[in-house]
Amino acid sequence: MSQEPTEFEKRTRALLEESSGRLDGRTLSRLTQARHAALDQQQKSARAPWWRWSVPAGAAAAVLAVVIWVGHPPAVEAPASLAKSVDEFELLTDADAPDFVDEGEDVEFYEWASGEMES
Amino acid sequence: MTAFVTLAGVYNMPVLAGERSREQDLMTSRALEQFLASVEKRAFKIAQLGLRNDEDALDAVQDAMMKLVQSYASRGSDEWRPLFYRILANRIHDLQRRRTVRGRVMAWLPIREAEDDEEFDPIAQAPSPEASPMRRLELDEAIGALEAALQDLPPRQQQAFLLRNLEGLDVSETASAMGCSEGSVKTHYFRALESLRARLGEVI
Repeated sequence: MSQEPTEFEKRTRALLEESSGRLDGRTLSRLTQARHAALDQQQKSARAPWWRWSVPAGAAAAVLAVVIWVGHPPAVEAPASLAKSVDEFELLTDADAPDFVDEGEDVEFYEWASGEMES
Repeated sequence: MTAFVTLAGVYNMPVLAGERSREQDLMTSRALEQFLASVEKRAFKIAQLGLRNDEDALDAVQDAMMKLVQSYASRGSDEWRPLFYRILANRIHDLQRRRTVRGRVMAWLPIREAEDDEEFDPIAQAPSPEASPMRRLELDEAIGALEAALQDLPPRQQQAFLLRNLEGLDVSETASAMGCSEGSVKTHYFRALESLRARLGEVI
């Protein structure tokens, strides 16, 4: 208390302290039991093994990782060599593609001609 | 030798950390036990005056102990007192409200609850041998008058008075325990004091 207690306050406090100290044996025993029950509960939760919490936490982290992966798949750029191979594959599988390759024509000439046209 | 020491250090690290954690838990447990033992009698008295029933008061104190240990054991021990009394005050309030509702329902029913179904225990009820019979009688009368006057106070005044006067909480801690402003605590306490002084000034 910030101020000095008055005589009346001191007297009431002394009486209440006296009354609290007069609790009967049964009540005291029940209070002790209540205290021990609360402390047992605290000790049980403190004794819980670490993996009891780490397993659910790990599972939650895995689920979160999957959700993020599915929601935002990382954009992968195809390398230039792969793009070129795909072009060549399309050329070979295209029904309208020139059939000179099969006929053993001068492929190098057509490559040179293509380069000249692009430049 | 160095390699041995290094390896021993590496392999001992988790064991030491575990021991330290267990030691910490043990210290918290001891501190909690000391705290609960230091407040339980006054807490019971506060609950008893608020609820006017020993069984309900014991339940309220036990619930408050459980809740404190379950939810706030990791808080600093200096925070436990206001937190404990906040929980207790809420529990008392809940029980008072439940009793009011039950009272309304029971008023419509012709059945009355048995109140004194417990056996009288002469040892438990035996008076303490320290005080003389006359002194004890005076104390009994004064305590009876004070407790009757406290029970007639409005709940918030009663709570403010008991937390400050009996438990010795300061205004700030009382405000925290009651969930109100410091100004309200001062007002409730002042009014409680005035009522008690007016009623008991000559008696105690």
